[in-house]
Amino acid sequence: MSNANVSVLPSRPGTGKTVRRRPGVGKSVSVALLVIGAVGMIAPFLWMFTTSLRDASHAYDLPPQWLPTEWDWSNYAGAVSGPVPILKNMFNSAVIAIAVSIGMIITAPMAGYAFAKLEFPGRNSIFVGLLSSLMVPAQVTIIPLFLLMRTFGLLDNPLSLILPGITGALGVFLLRQFFLGLPQEIIDAARMDGATAWQTYRLIALPLAKNAVSTLGVITFLGSWNAYFAPSIFLNSTDTATLPLGLVLMLGPYGAGNVAQVMAATTIAIAPALIVFLVAQRWIIASLTQSAVKG
Amino acid sequence: MTLTAPQTQLPPAPPSGRGGGPGHRSAARRREALTGYMFTAPTVIGFLVFVLGPLVAALYLSLTKYNILTAPKFVGLDNYVRMFRDERLATTYGNTVLYVGAAVVLINGFALLFAVLINQRLPRALTYVFRSAYFFPYLVALVYVSIIWQALFQKDTGILNYYITAMGGERIDWLNSSEFSKVSVIIVDTWRNVGFAMLIFVAALQEVPKDMVEAARMDGANEWQVFRRITLPMISQATFFNITITIIGAFQIYESIIVLTRGGPGDASRSVVMYIAEVAFNKFDMGYASAIAVTLFVIIMLVTLVQFRLRKSWVNNE
Repeated sequence: MSNANVSVLPSRPGTGKTVRRRPGVGKSVSVALLVIGAVGMIAPFLWMFTTSLRDASHAYDLPPQWLPTEWDWSNYAGAVSGPVPILKNMFNSAVIAIAVSIGMIITAPMAGYAFAKLEFPGRNSIFVGLLSSLMVPAQVTIIPLFLLMRTFGLLDNPLSLILPGITGALGVFLLRQFFLGLPQEIIDAARMDGATAWQTYRLIALPLAKNAVSTLGVITFLGSWNAYFAPSIFLNSTDTATLPLGLVLMLGPYGAGNVAQVMAATTIAIAPALIVFLVAQRWIIASLTQSAVKG
Repeated sequence: MTLTAPQTQLPPAPPSGRGGGPGHRSAARRREALTGYMFTAPTVIGFLVFVLGPLVAALYLSLTKYNILTAPKFVGLDNYVRMFRDERLATTYGNTVLYVGAAVVLINGFALLFAVLINQRLPRALTYVFRSAYFFPYLVALVYVSIIWQALFQKDTGILNYYITAMGGERIDWLNSSEFSKVSVIIVDTWRNVGFAMLIFVAALQEVPKDMVEAARMDGANEWQVFRRITLPMISQATFFNITITIIGAFQIYESIIVLTRGGPGDASRSVVMYIAEVAFNKFDMGYASAIAVTLFVIIMLVTLVQFRLRKSWVNNE
């Protein structure tokens, strides 16, 4: 769009074969726009962090200070020792997210492998059925799930979030895509050598899927760590609450909580996303985009 | 559920794969089928218990009156009829449709703009930094980013109003006015989701054949014509995907509103999912809440199927 008028500008001679209609001026306008956008993306996080390092009385100082004016970590101590048991909530979130991720990286690759590489009657209809569950929004199943958990006495229990989380169609889909790309000869060769189906999967196919499985694990972990809707309905005491629920409690109605402490707790809560982002950004982006573009 | 794994240890395959007769082959085939069922069993059981079963139950509950304390009473389509007279439902669905429209236009518009800008031959490090900055909010829980934003949106102490008044504008009541509460929700939703849509567009833009673009330029097409006639059609699959994802996501909008405005003032920013949760878990009117949830399911299913259709026909036209 902003490129529309770029072509009227004269092209620079001698800058290479394809630069003809892409002069430097257009590019610096692009960079300027991108910088503005990027600042808008990062500024709220910067404000969060610097506010967490200030005394609460300076939290809303105007004009806003974008860089830390002091390095006061007492808000972090205050956040974890306040009326909301933030550390316990974080522990609850971690237990659920880890359990769900481990379950998912066991169940999804097995199913994905079966749908990609094994022949069995009904294979395709079962797969399509599973995929159709992606169309079912959580809000539709939440009421029956609530009643189910209530019947089995699992309300206010982390199992109410772990059990539904350890299987899922999206992971099966991602891993099936991966295994479809695995040459059949590798599988056949292993079978010729006398490996059982399980051995072929466990010793040959699964190790090759290491990256896909790690990505699935990371995506599942973050999804669970960030979840709010189901936890807000299944969990109803501060001791079983997950971190997002704890933070909303801490914030209080209409943002009445101590804002510096809330920002300190939020900074802690965001840390896993930041770590994942720094470590695994490339894989996540690749696996998230492949289904849309290659389909 | 993971216990099925060791059970798939089957007796070793016969030493020679090809020596066996037809009986042999069908035994191997049976074994493979059995393995297939065992490998898929945990996922299928999870699907039946936690998705299909509850979905069927929700459809049934939507035809009943049920308050948890007494057994569900079958009332036919009463709940669906009741929806037409429910003004709060009309308000919350209206708000939700507004969020959906805004999400489709704003998220995809900004995402495409940034994707096109980023897809120029910028230095690698710069591309990486931009991509990272735009994508990061998407990885952070919506609850957390909303907590940050509600502080920025505060009327008297918030940063946004500080800059607005510094530039000579009027303070805006971002969270408590019936118009701007919706605007705030839309801003946070757009801000958080633009990066993901942008990545999808960038991936698609990279697949556009360079020689095709070059050829069009040789023929005298200007940048806009190239974009309109070549780039846009070439990335239509990504566009469909993004539009579908943004529609589905915005129909389910929930926790950002809880943090920002609690649905208020009144119902001014309340989404239909918040209304479902309120009817179900505060008023324990499970039958009616299920009926509303079913309408949401039908909408999302239709959107997905339409996208699937369009995608297929697009592929066939290639």
